[in-house]
Amino acid sequence: MIATELRVFARALAVQQRVIGALFMREFMTRWGRRNLGFAWLFAEPLVFALPVIAMWSKIRAPFEHGLPMIAFVWSGYLPLLIFRHVTGNALYTVKYNAAMLYHRQVTPLDIFIGRQGLELIGNISACAVSFLLLYMLGVIDWPDNYALFLAGFFYMSWWSLAVALIIAALSERSEIVQHIWMPVSYMYMAVCGFFFMAAWLPTSLRQIALTLDPPLHAYEMIRGGLFGNRMQTFYDMSYVSWILAIFTLIGLWLMRDVRKHLVFE
Amino acid sequence: MITVTDLSKDYHSETGRTYHRVLSNISFVLKPGEKIAVLGSNGAGKSTLIRLIAGVEMPTIGRIERTMSVSWPVGAAGGVAGSMTGNDNIRLICRIYNKPFKLLRDYVEDFAELGKYLAEPVITYSAGMRARLNFALSIAVDFDCYLIDEIIAVGDHRFQRRSHEELFDKRADRSLMLASHIPQIVKDYCSRALVLHRGRGKMFDDLDLAFEIYHDL
Repeated sequence: MIATELRVFARALAVQQRVIGALFMREFMTRWGRRNLGFAWLFAEPLVFALPVIAMWSKIRAPFEHGLPMIAFVWSGYLPLLIFRHVTGNALYTVKYNAAMLYHRQVTPLDIFIGRQGLELIGNISACAVSFLLLYMLGVIDWPDNYALFLAGFFYMSWWSLAVALIIAALSERSEIVQHIWMPVSYMYMAVCGFFFMAAWLPTSLRQIALTLDPPLHAYEMIRGGLFGNRMQTFYDMSYVSWILAIFTLIGLWLMRDVRKHLVFE
Repeated sequence: MITVTDLSKDYHSETGRTYHRVLSNISFVLKPGEKIAVLGSNGAGKSTLIRLIAGVEMPTIGRIERTMSVSWPVGAAGGVAGSMTGNDNIRLICRIYNKPFKLLRDYVEDFAELGKYLAEPVITYSAGMRARLNFALSIAVDFDCYLIDEIIAVGDHRFQRRSHEELFDKRADRSLMLASHIPQIVKDYCSRALVLHRGRGKMFDDLDLAFEIYHDL
């Protein structure tokens, strides 16, 4: 009995793997295809965003703030912000734009989400890597002090972005209000997420509230803790963010389950 | 076999306060090898019924049971991606249905006769070219039951003749649901007809009678 169920599950898993691979390639070809830079746009696109902003900041601010090197600090704030903004912004109507693919019964709305947001995430992570190497070669950023913590920070930032994107994707198909409010919300997010500050700079009472309500702050603390080492105090709680993000993910999956009902087909 | 039981489908109106019942209480059985036409004026729900049977949309009420493999709705929209080239669409279908690229590519090349246009985005194709690509892909993947929404009428005479050859001479044992309002095409392909009107559906074994009723509606 259990053996047959496992077999059915394994077969379904194989189908889903194939479908996600197909959608991944489709998204890739549609966005960049074979024209000019081709797949290099995958990370060039976020870089076009990031490099001018980093250059601008390094000109207008002092080279050190709170004892941290300015460019490295901006890099560690802005690049993770781009992951979040691109992955979530791209999630609005992600299913509707690909509704033609749902004509194939094997394709589920979740597959479409994974294909599209997965590619967006990979692109942005690559941009992080490329810009880091670039700044490292220019000598303005140091090699991370603690790799594991640095990467864990990016892992949690990616998970947070995907979990929110999943909810946004599912809700935007239900109500267009989501589209209207998401842009201002993601703009305000910039102020509170942890881009501009460290938890240690906050008063104790505010810090507790921020760490409770602001999951990306934990990711920022990990990234910067990993990058700068013991030069400043960091606050994060991996098990707390893991729980919060797991709950977000479950809510997103649950909302995504009956998205098909809210779609209008040509 | 496909068994449709008490099928109803509602769509919400633009304001969301009311709804339209597009299909109401439809039941029928499509047996292996059987070829049924779906008749109805514009907006009668032909495409909606086809999409429901394909599993693209979910019924509001009722059940659809499938015990054979069913194609996607082969029509003017959906199934293929407009922004991709014909070749990339073939690759996409190969990945989704786990078929070798060469097999599908050869078949589509021969049947759809798109030549060098296979390297161009589908969005640049004419309606007839798109119909040929979509139809050829569905035949190449090989299903037990084909759901075809109007497109045979879009193709030129040569395409119509070859479609008939593929669906009848070579695949006489397959089932077909064909939405169309062109009597000649329906009579060429189908043995029964489901006439849709104001959400209701009635099955006719006599195609001439079905057309008489349909024209009187």
